[in-house]
Amino acid sequence: MKTLGAIAVIITGALLLYASEDFPAWGDPHSPASQYRVSQHYILKTFEETSVPNMVTAILADYRGYDTLFETVVIFTAGIAIIAILRGPIDKRVRLRLASEKKLRESNLILAQTCRLLVPIIQLFALYVIAHGHHSPGGGFQGGVIFGGSLILLAISFQLQTALDRVSEKKAILLAGVGVLIYSGIGLVCLLLGGNFLDYSILHNLLQVDPITARSHGILGVEIGVAFTVASIMFAIYANLSSRGRMKGGL
Amino acid sequence: MILNIACLALLTIGVVIFFGAVIGVLRFPDFYSRMHAAGISDTMSTISLLTAFALFQLHDLSWPNLLVVGKIFFIVAFISLTGPTSTHALMHAGYQRRNRPPVRKQEPDEDMT
Repeated sequence: MKTLGAIAVIITGALLLYASEDFPAWGDPHSPASQYRVSQHYILKTFEETSVPNMVTAILADYRGYDTLFETVVIFTAGIAIIAILRGPIDKRVRLRLASEKKLRESNLILAQTCRLLVPIIQLFALYVIAHGHHSPGGGFQGGVIFGGSLILLAISFQLQTALDRVSEKKAILLAGVGVLIYSGIGLVCLLLGGNFLDYSILHNLLQVDPITARSHGILGVEIGVAFTVASIMFAIYANLSSRGRMKGGL
Repeated sequence: MILNIACLALLTIGVVIFFGAVIGVLRFPDFYSRMHAAGISDTMSTISLLTAFALFQLHDLSWPNLLVVGKIFFIVAFISLTGPTSTHALMHAGYQRRNRPPVRKQEPDEDMT
């Protein structure tokens, strides 16, 4: 059985290596993906049209704004579905476990102090990643995940309750909804001002800038909405999974 | 030239220590000694590799390069804080679960259950 598996792996690997020779070279200007007129438009005109140096961010939040809007909605829906399935009534027996856990946690000074030091740095970095998506890899999804991760770190190193004291369950779900609302609200404002849905250039009257800079600002607003949803849904999912939907005890 | 040699030396040290970590994780008998191998050498080798990268950036001194060096040293500071702490947390969790390290049978030990 083992040799059979090895043979299968070797044959598949050899086929994959053989097929990879047919790929165009990395960054080849003559490859089909680079020659199609849409991608040429993106590559040549992105900076002119949106004043965003990072092409990926501009395509994600501006040209393909609908796609990203519904990705955010998908994350929101997934979080709500997980909460709806897992969240149960608070069990009174859990309180006993909590008391013994408290003794356990108090002894672990090193972990608590390190997390006290690191959590603010991680959260600051998350905000940097969100705000700097225009110029470097990053954006709402990545920054939101980092921010949610910092809250999860807080819950792991202390107790779930410590993190829930900062961001309660209600607040987390509310913030997730606020994120989707910011995103679709920006689109709706565009619609009300007479443009297309998510056509940020129409916002230039509202923001007192030229239409190109308005697109850049619109992208930033949208990214902030995405970050709200992703961060709070990450934390809400962790809180439900680790405590079996009881929001007490935790890991 | 000297910079290159220093880079290569640091890279070699890092890779050798990493190799030791891999052997330790694969060959040591129990959880604690494996964590010992991984925890100590992982932090050390990552720091030495990243220092080599930072030195390599100093080939031509300019502000963007110095910025990269600064960022690398932020990563070094981050890893030197988180690596030992995560090792400690794993060890502590293992100990709390009464998964005591195995002791040789010649030595009397009442703690073993």
